[in-house]
Amino acid sequence: MAECSSNVLMKEECENHEKCMKMIQAVLDGSASKEEIEHFKSNIDVCKPCFDGYQLEKSIKDCLQTKVEKKCCPQNTVDQLKAKIGIGLLLLGGFLIKLKVIQEIFLS
Amino acid sequence: MEFEEEEEFVESKPRYSETEKYRIFDKEFMPHIDSMYNFAFRLTNDEDDANDLVQDTYMKAFRFINSFQEGTNAKAWLFRILKNSFINDYRKKSKEPSKVDYQEVETVYNSTEDAEFESTSDLRIEAVQDMIGDEVAMALNGLPVDFRTVIILCDIEGFTYEEMAKILDIPIGTVRSRLHRARNLLKEKLRSYAKSMGYKELR
Repeated sequence: MAECSSNVLMKEECENHEKCMKMIQAVLDGSASKEEIEHFKSNIDVCKPCFDGYQLEKSIKDCLQTKVEKKCCPQNTVDQLKAKIGIGLLLLGGFLIKLKVIQEIFLS
Repeated sequence: MEFEEEEEFVESKPRYSETEKYRIFDKEFMPHIDSMYNFAFRLTNDEDDANDLVQDTYMKAFRFINSFQEGTNAKAWLFRILKNSFINDYRKKSKEPSKVDYQEVETVYNSTEDAEFESTSDLRIEAVQDMIGDEVAMALNGLPVDFRTVIILCDIEGFTYEEMAKILDIPIGTVRSRLHRARNLLKEKLRSYAKSMGYKELR
């Protein structure tokens, strides 16, 4: 048995570690149920393999979120797409129609 | 498992006027284009293919816009189309080995799950924290595409399990299991990098 910083005795072995890790991942992913969150809160400080697993999973998740480059769509691709859809033309058309309506209101 | 290309498009009566279609496309679909491109790039590992995949996805989204309910999760809807386009079109055309059979892969990793944990538990947090983005990206790219997909959706794009289940068309329980196995594989890749960087293993 090991002792953690808060003087709580920790288990060195976890008999359900694979199951626990799925639950821990769900907690980190924000997809755990209320029961799982409660179970996590009440057990994470007493099981060393789970505590270590949690820390490692968290660091990998942080790493994926912050260090892996997020590629942005090239402007050329956006322009090509808009041209294909004809969105620019439609927006221009809509603007011209509005302009014409406003002109007609003021002229009448 | 075969995905039907048009599976996500339920033919329905036109609900939107032409103006509404363009408005929805511009306001609800276009804001996600960077995430879509990033997903496409991580799937294909090629900028040109990512461009084609994104354009193809957006063209399909516009064509079948009447199947989209305004105000619902546009990002998840678009990701589902992109994922299906990748499976149905890109993979058939590419020189990549034939697609991975989910069941086969999961059976393999089910049978080696315990051994896997033993081999990945010695990865140190410090080693992960010291890695640069390219090393993590390489480890991610080294995963089979189906495992890579769940990690991208969850950890990079921040989708919930429920959203991922809809995008991938699998039960939530399978999302959990696949994610768990994908992460074990990723840890194994990261451990190899850590070892090559000279980090001592825990055991």
